[in-house]
Amino acid sequence: MSIPTPGSGHLDARIRLRRGQTEVDVALSAQPGQVIGVLGPNGGGKTTTVLALAGVLPLEAGHVRLGPDLWDDGDRRVPPEQRAVGLMLADSLLFPHLRAVDNVAYGPRSRGVDRHTARERAVDELRRVGLAERADARPRELSSGQQARVALARALATDPSLLLLDEPLAALDPDTRARTRSDLAARLAGYGGVTVLVTHDPLDALTLADHLVFVEDGRVSQAGTPAEVLGEPRSPYVATVVGLNLYAGQGDSHGHVTTPTGALLVTTDPTEGPVWATVPPQGVALHRSRPDGSPRNTWSLRVASVTMQGQSARVGLEGDLALTAEVTLESVAGLGIRVGEQLWAAVKATEVRTYPR
Amino acid sequence: MRQAGRWRSRVALGVPAAVALLLLVVPLVALLFRADWARIPSDLATPTVLPALRLSLTTTSCTAILCLLLGTPLAWLLARSDTTATSWLRAVLTVPLVLPPVVGGVALLMTWGRNGLLGQYLSPFGIQIPFTTVAVVLAETFVAMPYYVLAVEGAMRGLDPRLESVARTLGASDLRYLRTVGIPLVLPGIASGLALAWARALGEFGATITFAGNFQGRTQTLPLLVYVELERDPQVAISISILLLAVSVLVLGVLRGRWLR
Repeated sequence: MSIPTPGSGHLDARIRLRRGQTEVDVALSAQPGQVIGVLGPNGGGKTTTVLALAGVLPLEAGHVRLGPDLWDDGDRRVPPEQRAVGLMLADSLLFPHLRAVDNVAYGPRSRGVDRHTARERAVDELRRVGLAERADARPRELSSGQQARVALARALATDPSLLLLDEPLAALDPDTRARTRSDLAARLAGYGGVTVLVTHDPLDALTLADHLVFVEDGRVSQAGTPAEVLGEPRSPYVATVVGLNLYAGQGDSHGHVTTPTGALLVTTDPTEGPVWATVPPQGVALHRSRPDGSPRNTWSLRVASVTMQGQSARVGLEGDLALTAEVTLESVAGLGIRVGEQLWAAVKATEVRTYPR
Repeated sequence: MRQAGRWRSRVALGVPAAVALLLLVVPLVALLFRADWARIPSDLATPTVLPALRLSLTTTSCTAILCLLLGTPLAWLLARSDTTATSWLRAVLTVPLVLPPVVGGVALLMTWGRNGLLGQYLSPFGIQIPFTTVAVVLAETFVAMPYYVLAVEGAMRGLDPRLESVARTLGASDLRYLRTVGIPLVLPGIASGLALAWARALGEFGATITFAGNFQGRTQTLPLLVYVELERDPQVAISISILLLAVSVLVLGVLRGRWLR
């Protein structure tokens, strides 16, 4: 069988199937060279989507097309070994009894390339991830980061048109993850096909992907460029990932937003009708007593949690509305913030952004 | 009070445990105790023992090879599918494990005998299975193969199914995956399955004597000879038993080495 040239096609997929409790219906499309980041909570259908794209799981309905090739239409399915896909999973899953070079050569060998050419190709792929000198090492002799790089080299050695990365960095410790992330970015820059990157780490998605798709409960809850998603989250999960407080409400022309629980937000950015309103955690000020001056949003809220992040603290507040505030460690100490206490939270009207729901 | 309670539970558990241990260990000790060690080499070199030893070795080797060639694919298919049909199949497969071997012998006669389910098609060609060396192999395979298949299936189920997904996206067919990844990774399981099946085949008595008879040089394996010699010359029977015990312990050693690591 001939190996197709990489980057030969546009991905057009609608994945519809049922797996366990989740009814998955996810549409994806991408141009060659694009990296789509798929994010979402566990059990929401991310991995199911990847396995269906790989051909390991059959579609019940929908389709997977890559360029001119129809891979699955719910009736007829091209098996994984006849698709031009590369698959890399969380714990690398190298073949433990094969040396690094033989792991990478496994794909070309399986596709009928002769031993010598396959080995040359494998060494070349290892060189491109900076591991040419570890070609003869067994997987257990490699660090977790090196194993991940070998797994990437193995996935790319068959020149896939579609590269599937399912949580490729999830099994790595934080230091290794940061380094491997940049190795991954460097290698992906030279890859001409479509990449689908599944992750729950927003940093992976923002640094590696140029289009984001959020999958929750089997459905796409939001899709767009990182900039679009960062500014205008449209689901509580997306808001948590991008680090914004998000409220669904009803807006009027005077800049008032009423939430379903009856809380009122004042904004200088009015939108009428059903709206989303965001409040950045850094825009929240905390006080012991009710602050003076208007027009401001002030609420008396109870401290539900305090977590540290570097030099700042995130304070989770509950009451008329749920609000996360990001304040300096000094103010935590100065105000004597403790879980269970009532505090006043103030947000300037200019910090509240609204957009149609 | 508390002290007394502890003693009571020690006695209540310790006494039956000790009796159980005695029931299991004393017979082995008795065998070793009654053996005439100086006679063992000459006992084993007699004209009745040597053919039985040779027959046992060849038939158990054939059984091991049949397990390897036929049992491995069966284990693989069982390990991969999770339908109700497979769980029934697995249940059927375990029947020979608990079936009285004599009943197995009768079942084999009903299959391969002159008028048996399959034998009736063979007898017109002059092919007679019962009471031949082939029958010994069939009897041993009938009782030993389930051990092999279940051991290997267990090892294959331990493989991460995602390895296969990765291999398939790399272009490997089912067969290539099995040959290059699946089997190499379950080699320890195959080795212990073989040891287990071989040991079971070596000890086979009931199905063999029922289905293959007790003909010297043709169907008389070591266990059958032990049975005969016990009437004729008990000391020879004990010597052969010591040999079989030694082989069993050896197999156990191989298995433990695998399992304890």
